[in-house]
Amino acid sequence: MAKVAREMVERAGVNVDELLELLVNNAAAELTTYYYYTILRVNLIGLDGETIKEIAETARIEDRNHFEAIVPRIYELGGRLPESMVDFHNCSACPPASLPKDPTDVKAMLTVLVEAERCAVRGYTNICNLTAGKDHRTYDLAQAILNEEVEHESWFSEFLGEGPSGHFLRRGDTSPFVSKFLK
Amino acid sequence: MACSIKKVFTKEELKKHDGSNGSAYVAFGGKVYDVSQSFHWRKGIHQVMHHAGCDLTEALGRAPHGSDMLDKFPVVGELMDSD
Repeated sequence: MAKVAREMVERAGVNVDELLELLVNNAAAELTTYYYYTILRVNLIGLDGETIKEIAETARIEDRNHFEAIVPRIYELGGRLPESMVDFHNCSACPPASLPKDPTDVKAMLTVLVEAERCAVRGYTNICNLTAGKDHRTYDLAQAILNEEVEHESWFSEFLGEGPSGHFLRRGDTSPFVSKFLK
Repeated sequence: MACSIKKVFTKEELKKHDGSNGSAYVAFGGKVYDVSQSFHWRKGIHQVMHHAGCDLTEALGRAPHGSDMLDKFPVVGELMDSD
């Protein structure tokens, strides 16, 4: 634990225990989403499915990166991950991104994907709001993740016909915002 | 003519639906919503710091979503104005 780092956050008025629970719940959401997206990606086949497979894969890898980036901050602040993977799954901040009943229904697949991203966007916006000007390191981390989650949402939203995302797919490396926390 | 009469909750009655007994109600804008079936209100807790059995009218103003998120939940009554 980084004692002074935690003390600074507490003295800034943040309830660190509540923040830690939020971070654990969001770390759980990232890792479980990585798992569920694996199943979605495998089932994105055929002419329509293949069209979105690549962005689903990018989102899947970046969600795993988010998990990896959050975990050190949890321990720095004196928190820890649950010992049981089952407990970890069940405390997820977001619902399971389960495979739709008809996996060939690409619109249903996209709806699952975009709802998962929207849950994440709300969750990290909440953490940013709670830590802004108080816990600079958690804010920086949450904001970096938020940047990527917003892009994921816009990719899937674009395919659902909700309007253009305004940007292109990743070219090369994943996690352009979060990678600084992974080095 | 059919007329649905909604239950009127006092704040004390609302508090009993804090999720601990499986029933999670929250109030917003004078209406009481049943969020018991929501993933986001498991055990009557939402985002760690919001608790069922409470009037969330003020807190929802700071939330990263609008009150339309409550539209999907059944309205089970009205919250009695304590003023």
